Amino acid sequence: MLSKQRKSSQTSIEIRSPYLGQMRSGDSKRDTRLYQQGRIYKRLSLLITYVVLSIGAFIILLPFAWLISASLKTTTQYYASPIQWIPNPVVWSNYVEAFAVYGFARYVGNSVFLAVYAMVVNTLVSSLVAFGFARFRFPGRGVWFVLMLSTLMLPAQVLTIPLYVTFKTFGWIDTFLPIMVPQLFGSAFNVFLFRQFFMDLPRELDEAARIDGCSNLRIWWNIILPQSKPVIIVVAIFTFLSSWRDAWNPLIYLSSQSNRTIPLGLLYFTNGYTAVYPQMMAATVVALAVPVVLYAIGQRYIDRGVAIAEVR
Amino acid sequence: MLTASHSGAAGDRKRSRAGGPIRRFLHKEGVAGYLFVAPWIIGFILFYCYPLLDTIYNSFTEYKLFGEPQWIGLQNYQNLLHDSVFVQTCLHMVLYVSLATLIYIVGGMVLALLLNRTFPGNHFFRVVFYLPSLMVGVAIGSMFVQVFNAGDFGLLNEVIGIFHIATINWLNNYDQPIVGLYALILVTFWFMGGTMLIFLAGLKGISATYYEAARIDGAGAWQRFRYVTLPLLTPVILFNTIMTLIGHLQTFDVALIFAGGGSGSVGSITSVLGYRNSLSVFLTYLYQEAFIYHNYGYGSAIAIVIFLITLVLTGVVLLLFQRFTYYDR
Repeated sequence: MLSKQRKSSQTSIEIRSPYLGQMRSGDSKRDTRLYQQGRIYKRLSLLITYVVLSIGAFIILLPFAWLISASLKTTTQYYASPIQWIPNPVVWSNYVEAFAVYGFARYVGNSVFLAVYAMVVNTLVSSLVAFGFARFRFPGRGVWFVLMLSTLMLPAQVLTIPLYVTFKTFGWIDTFLPIMVPQLFGSAFNVFLFRQFFMDLPRELDEAARIDGCSNLRIWWNIILPQSKPVIIVVAIFTFLSSWRDAWNPLIYLSSQSNRTIPLGLLYFTNGYTAVYPQMMAATVVALAVPVVLYAIGQRYIDRGVAIAEVR
Repeated sequence: MLTASHSGAAGDRKRSRAGGPIRRFLHKEGVAGYLFVAPWIIGFILFYCYPLLDTIYNSFTEYKLFGEPQWIGLQNYQNLLHDSVFVQTCLHMVLYVSLATLIYIVGGMVLALLLNRTFPGNHFFRVVFYLPSLMVGVAIGSMFVQVFNAGDFGLLNEVIGIFHIATINWLNNYDQPIVGLYALILVTFWFMGGTMLIFLAGLKGISATYYEAARIDGAGAWQRFRYVTLPLLTPVILFNTIMTLIGHLQTFDVALIFAGGGSGSVGSITSVLGYRNSLSVFLTYLYQEAFIYHNYGYGSAIAIVIFLITLVLTGVVLLLFQRFTYYDR
């Protein structure tokens, strides 16, 4: 979608304008001069754009390049100064060590489990709720919707203390339950995205199905959902990423080492004596790679999702 | 309707089979709507209303790890006002939130403007700029701890060394601990991709006819930006500003890692708030008070204050910019 978009508004105007159009034999000297100036101007601005963007991209990519190179060094090489960019020898075993010795495999497993669970459950429930908001009129609908949006403003961390105490009395601390249970109720952001999308879907299909005797639940499952693939993918990816990145909830609710997720694993990454940087960098690379892969898969839809969410 | 005629008989059959009074009731529009929305409402009450009310109540009590909460009125709040660490945190937040939001909005806009045209490589740049904002905060944090590492082998110090500036001890600076906060602000340059994407979507929404009219009237590039692009983008700018503001008030991950001096040391000796409290942000302070010192009453007061500050700030921004926002309907 990004690279195949039609020409932007600026380009289409320029083609029609006498500044950059085809030169014809009747043109005066002034027209020719303006035409050439326009071309130079356009090339120059493109060049400047490239330069600025390249500098920016270089700055952004530099720490990541350093990270990858650091993850393949030995500890002594790590501290060398000036920085050696190409490690010699290349220590692939850092990755293996991070997984085996430092238990990172376990953390990845935990993170994956929680994230997939959140993705599936939250997406399903949020789409159900959004269906209610989008297609049904019920008393107080506006009020509930505004309330829901207002919850986006409140940092959920602020509410943790009573939840923590309650979960402690349930004995749920150090299990995954405090993190898993709230996902059963949907999240405001997802509901919002779904609702905006659903409102754009034509009602005729709904009504046809209803005449045929479809129950509401069937309508949701068989009619609305299949049409909503873009939004489902966006919501699923965002939910997965949001769970993957979450450091606050695991920090509060999970204490034992085997229950940690990736953010916690990185926080506590040590061999018990000192910090082992190269292996830690290897683990960091793994943690960072997953969102990249996910983005590559779902990227078209993410951009569309952003367009849906923006304020109309 | 196309399907109505041939499904008439089938519909009758279905309805007579399953059209009991309960089912009809459940399918009344109002009831059905509530049923669908019910999961979220239940979640809202359980995980929002109840904790919020409980936190408000707790903030007026003395509530530690063992024992029941005991009402002490406004004392928590009074202590908060005199708490030097909290005041310091507030100052940090003012500095951080304003600068970081500014960077995000201005930077995101600049990037979006640059990337709005089609040219080869456009796609690549968009991806490069957007990707960091998707990543695990803790991982990014631990990466940047190494970048900001004191001594010669930290990446940033290397780069500065090329310009022959002395190396700076970013995170544990003895003379000027505030440098840690500068490091935190510098990190925000990496995450502009999120706002950039939203601005891009907003830019695409501006109809081309406005630009045509402007060009016919002889407007130059800067004038086009100032009189066409900017006014039509104000809703998006407002939305972005509020979301960024709220997001930055809630920074936690990177501040936590920076404070610990890097992974592997959180929870052991180093403070969660950084060298001489230089990196304290609202959430790390809350975490320290509530979950390390187990001072739930005090922590609740902090939480309520954070909430109120968020509300007030959002309201102020909304009201201030209401006048400047054009809605293109």
